[in-house]
Amino acid sequence: MTARETILGKLRAARRPFGEVQPIAERRRMIPRQDLSSQERLQQFIDEAEAVGCFVYQLDENAAFEQIMELIGGDHSVLSWDESQMPFTGLSEMLESLGVSTARHDSGDVRVGVTGVNAALAATGSLVLESGAGRHRNVSLLPDVHIALMRAEHILPDLEAWQEAQKSAGYPAFRQSSNTTLITGPSKTADIAHQLVKGAHGPREVHVIILE
Amino acid sequence: MTLEAQSNNFIALADIALQNDDLQHAIGEGTRTAYYRRLDTMFAHSDEHGESMRAQAAEAKRRALRELPDLLEKAERNLKTNGYQVEWAVDAAQANQLVLDIARRHGVQTVTKSKSMLTEELGTNAVMEAAGLSVVETDLGEYIIQLAGETPSHIVGPVMHKTKAEIRDVFVRELGMTPTDSAEEMVAFARRMLREDFLRADMGISGGNFVIAETGSIGLVMNEGNGRMCTSLPRVHVALIGIEKLVDTVEDYATLTQVLPSSSTGQKMTVYTNILNGPGRAEEGDGPKQAYVILVDNGRTDIYATKYAEVLSCIRCGACQNACPVYRSMGGHAYGWVYGGPIGAVLTPLFIGLENATPLPHASSLCGSCKQVCPVDIDLPGMLLELRWDQVRAGESKAGWDAAMKMWAIGMTSPTRYALGGKAARAGQAVMGDYMPGPLGNWSKHRDFPEFAPKSFRQLWKERSPSRNRSSTTRERLA
Repeated sequence: MTARETILGKLRAARRPFGEVQPIAERRRMIPRQDLSSQERLQQFIDEAEAVGCFVYQLDENAAFEQIMELIGGDHSVLSWDESQMPFTGLSEMLESLGVSTARHDSGDVRVGVTGVNAALAATGSLVLESGAGRHRNVSLLPDVHIALMRAEHILPDLEAWQEAQKSAGYPAFRQSSNTTLITGPSKTADIAHQLVKGAHGPREVHVIILE
Repeated sequence: MTLEAQSNNFIALADIALQNDDLQHAIGEGTRTAYYRRLDTMFAHSDEHGESMRAQAAEAKRRALRELPDLLEKAERNLKTNGYQVEWAVDAAQANQLVLDIARRHGVQTVTKSKSMLTEELGTNAVMEAAGLSVVETDLGEYIIQLAGETPSHIVGPVMHKTKAEIRDVFVRELGMTPTDSAEEMVAFARRMLREDFLRADMGISGGNFVIAETGSIGLVMNEGNGRMCTSLPRVHVALIGIEKLVDTVEDYATLTQVLPSSSTGQKMTVYTNILNGPGRAEEGDGPKQAYVILVDNGRTDIYATKYAEVLSCIRCGACQNACPVYRSMGGHAYGWVYGGPIGAVLTPLFIGLENATPLPHASSLCGSCKQVCPVDIDLPGMLLELRWDQVRAGESKAGWDAAMKMWAIGMTSPTRYALGGKAARAGQAVMGDYMPGPLGNWSKHRDFPEFAPKSFRQLWKERSPSRNRSSTTRERLA
């Protein structure tokens, strides 16, 4: 008998537990939803993202580009998603004109990574990044500094709202992307004497630029 | 069983822990901090809402367990659709052999590992090292533990028992770090060391907090990002997952992946809530080339068939450890096997046999805190009591009695622990009515248990003499 048959056989031979457990009549959201205007929702996202340690900016494209250049500092290469995956046209051209090239996506020593987002969650200040063509996983993982470019339209109320949107679309973030990651703040650890330290393995800084 | 159990030495191990001041301080601070953070997050909106979320999480896990064989088949189908190669293992030997076979098949020499309590159960690291593989634990706490040659003492904070100075000494002794007193510098040092390992590893091993049957996905939560590294950079990814980690739908997952960190560290979401759906797709350009899921039994089907099936709902948040007056005074190592605290006192005898863990059902003052904080409402005190009955029936209760007296002594010797027990008893009575766990169980079966006074003498004393009231400042200090 295979291990599979043994395991399934034993489970099926057992008396089914929890027959008495009733379904939940009215499902709740982990964070009760407030009735907010889109402006208030945007503000909620900013507040929550800042509360978990992100730097958040609301900028037009010119100011955003300046901010990106400031964060890149004097570096000559960055990791980046493909421009087609970001709400910012002409970024790679502008970077190149200033002598900043795009590094191989598996370079472990590049300081800055630039991505877009697929969604953002207001209740928790989270960014949703789905892997895909031109959306490399490593860009939001290997560098010290992660810059995420988004628009206010990306913002959903909470994780449950994202799940509902995913459900109506046939769960692409669970079936088409090999990896979907929800990022809530910079990488951190409290393993040493319960002291919070940023930048354990992933980015120690997350800069969220909301383009106007 | 690869890890040799020391659970029958509980009393001696507890004594050792109780005399270690550094451990006392470190565990006390760690558990207290987590305990209050959980309260703040789970009940941020209202007690009623927090309790409803616990009920919702509990229902999702119970429903998944009820349908477990069907869900395992559904998960297998969808995992395969997502490109996973799915394997099954009845016990530790089979699981470890599968890992070795996969490593050989793909010419693997170096392995990075993200935190997994299951692999502690299986003794996977020792088996891989014996086969000549280089294995590096990459969760910072696990990394320190591995360097020190120890085992995790807490489900979520494996190195909770060590002070900063002890950790510094491990890094200096084992890796030649320049001595420092700064936690930031130690983290930066470990980051540099581990970054090399991440980039050259051939295979990454992870556990899985959840398997979503509906879509064939693995849910992993983490704060450091090491789990993303282990599952993204190496060309082979292997996830070792207990069969009880199944959930039916993404909707259930959305509940549980928020309840878990709220209950564990008091975060609404972990920094990385990672959803894995197989190997990197052709168009993606990164991600593993080969991805495996090994579904592991290792005693779970036996538990499933018993009155203890509910314990399989556990989502390994560590809240019961943080709340337990016994765990809080000695940490996890005294329990002598993989899992410490109330959950460990129940799981250990079930996994390794009651006769090999005789004192553990008594390693509790039965104050009820563990059930009260459990995000999936597992009746841990009820199970501890039931295990004691099993012992009496099997005639094994002498060591248990000694342990029970020891626990009583621990509960009585510290004012905070005494207060915590009293508080839990008051709250517990509201939930359980006249049913009293523990030594009072028999007594209250036939009598009405007198109601606890709404406030204890200690509380009244404090309220009447405000100058003595230090509790608010203590709370602020911990926040």
